[in-house]
Amino acid sequence: MVQLLIFRLGDETYGLEIGAIQEILEAPTVHFLPRAPWYLQGVVNFHGNVVPVLDLVSYLGFNDEERAPRKIVLYPQRCRLALSVSSIQRIIKAEEERFLAVQNESEQEAYVRAVLPHEGMMVNVLDINRLLSGLAQI
Amino acid sequence: MRAEISHKFIMGFIIVVGCIVTVNLVVPFTGIPEQWQQLFSVACAILVGLVLGLFFSRTFTANIRSLSDSAEYLAKGDLSRDVVLPKTSLPDETADLADSLNRVVTSLRELVGYIRSSSVKVAEAAEGVSATSEEMTASAHEVANAVEQISGGAETQAEMVEKSSRLIKELAVSIDLVAASAKKVSASASDTAGTARKGGEIARSTLKRIKQVLGDVEQNSERMFSFGVQVQKIGKIVEVITGIAQKTNLLALNATIEAARAGEYGRGFAVVAEEISKLADSTSDSAGEITRLIEEIQEQNHNLQASTKESIHELDAGREALDRTGHSFEDIIRTTDDTQTKATSIAELAESQTKSASSIVSAIDEIARVVSDNAAATQQVSAASQQQSASMEELSHAAQDLAALAEDLLGKVSSFKLGNEKGA
Repeated sequence: MVQLLIFRLGDETYGLEIGAIQEILEAPTVHFLPRAPWYLQGVVNFHGNVVPVLDLVSYLGFNDEERAPRKIVLYPQRCRLALSVSSIQRIIKAEEERFLAVQNESEQEAYVRAVLPHEGMMVNVLDINRLLSGLAQI
Repeated sequence: MRAEISHKFIMGFIIVVGCIVTVNLVVPFTGIPEQWQQLFSVACAILVGLVLGLFFSRTFTANIRSLSDSAEYLAKGDLSRDVVLPKTSLPDETADLADSLNRVVTSLRELVGYIRSSSVKVAEAAEGVSATSEEMTASAHEVANAVEQISGGAETQAEMVEKSSRLIKELAVSIDLVAASAKKVSASASDTAGTARKGGEIARSTLKRIKQVLGDVEQNSERMFSFGVQVQKIGKIVEVITGIAQKTNLLALNATIEAARAGEYGRGFAVVAEEISKLADSTSDSAGEITRLIEEIQEQNHNLQASTKESIHELDAGREALDRTGHSFEDIIRTTDDTQTKATSIAELAESQTKSASSIVSAIDEIARVVSDNAAATQQVSAASQQQSASMEELSHAAQDLAALAEDLLGKVSSFKLGNEKGA
């Protein structure tokens, strides 16, 4: 049994295990960070810590202007990071067995661990480790 | 000195006897033998008797012959000669007879001359009469023609007058129709004026009602506006509720995340968080529904306000239109009053025209009567002129007959010879 926070990137639905999330912020003020890379939306104040906000929508190449005011703060395993998505939906429960493995293991830039069919949707389960290591390579 | 024939014979006898006696007395003194004396006296007596008898008979016969010749000439109709007897110292009855004959010839001559001249004059006069009567006949013919033409003209005149009469009667009928139409127009105009007055009143009362309605509508509009304000307040409350629901949802999400991190210990908390999340979702849904309803209500309210404004505009326009309608009704009333007056005057005029037309009709009837009288009179004149023409022709014939008679008489009279053509 896995719990996934599902959210939208463009027209696609993505899912993230809630174990990787520390907290969801209601509507933090996103401060502009001068000379920041194009995929950083800015920085937010998270309980006194400055946390950069990754604009996941444009980082993964989606052409969508919508950004949810809620920001997802990741659990600090490697680094502190917050994610900005198109919109945050809800938390669903799913069996690990129903995950469909993706055949593009060699594709470094895919960042999708598996696909979960759920209530007529196809939820792309985000591979957060590959995303973070991809970010670390930059 | 006059001597009758018998006296002449007696004188001759006396002379003869005297001669014998004288000779007998004278003879014895002459120396003639006695035996011859007797014979000589007888011979002297016979000689004297013979001489006297011859003389007498000759003169007498000559007179008788000349008388006879004259009578013969007279019998032949020759009146040119007078009876002329040889001159004698002793005229006798032959001279009387010659005088008488001469007087007869003279009177005959005068008579014949008179007859001749008269017959010539008669002939001339008869010719003149004939010519005049011919002229008169011609004139009478012309008169008859003229009278016939006049008669024809009078007939056409009568027809024209009849036509005129008919036309004027038709005109009178038309005028009557006009009068009737004018009366109808007047009645219609008064009806129209009445209707227009009613219409004006209706327009005024409608205007009053529209003003009331306008007031009601404006009041309703104000109420609707305050209703909209109330609904907006509800919307604010619903926004607060929505915010609370979102916060609750976020809290539930974070609680779920926290519970997952707590593992088995957080399981019960996770269930509560899930329930809270569901509640927050349904609250959010309900709030969304309420917001949607409020939006709908607001939209409808806006529409309603817009349509109310439009209605107010329309009502204003209607009020103006009604005002104009009222003015139009007043104009109509004025115009129809005017029309009524005019139609009434037209009707009066038409009535007077009808009277005039009827008097014209009677005058034309009078004219027609006169014309028909004229026609009859001209026909009579025509008949009279034809009669006159016939009489003239008869007169002409009579004059020609008379001329012929005069010619005849002249012919008869011209067999008389008048010598010096006295009286011709």
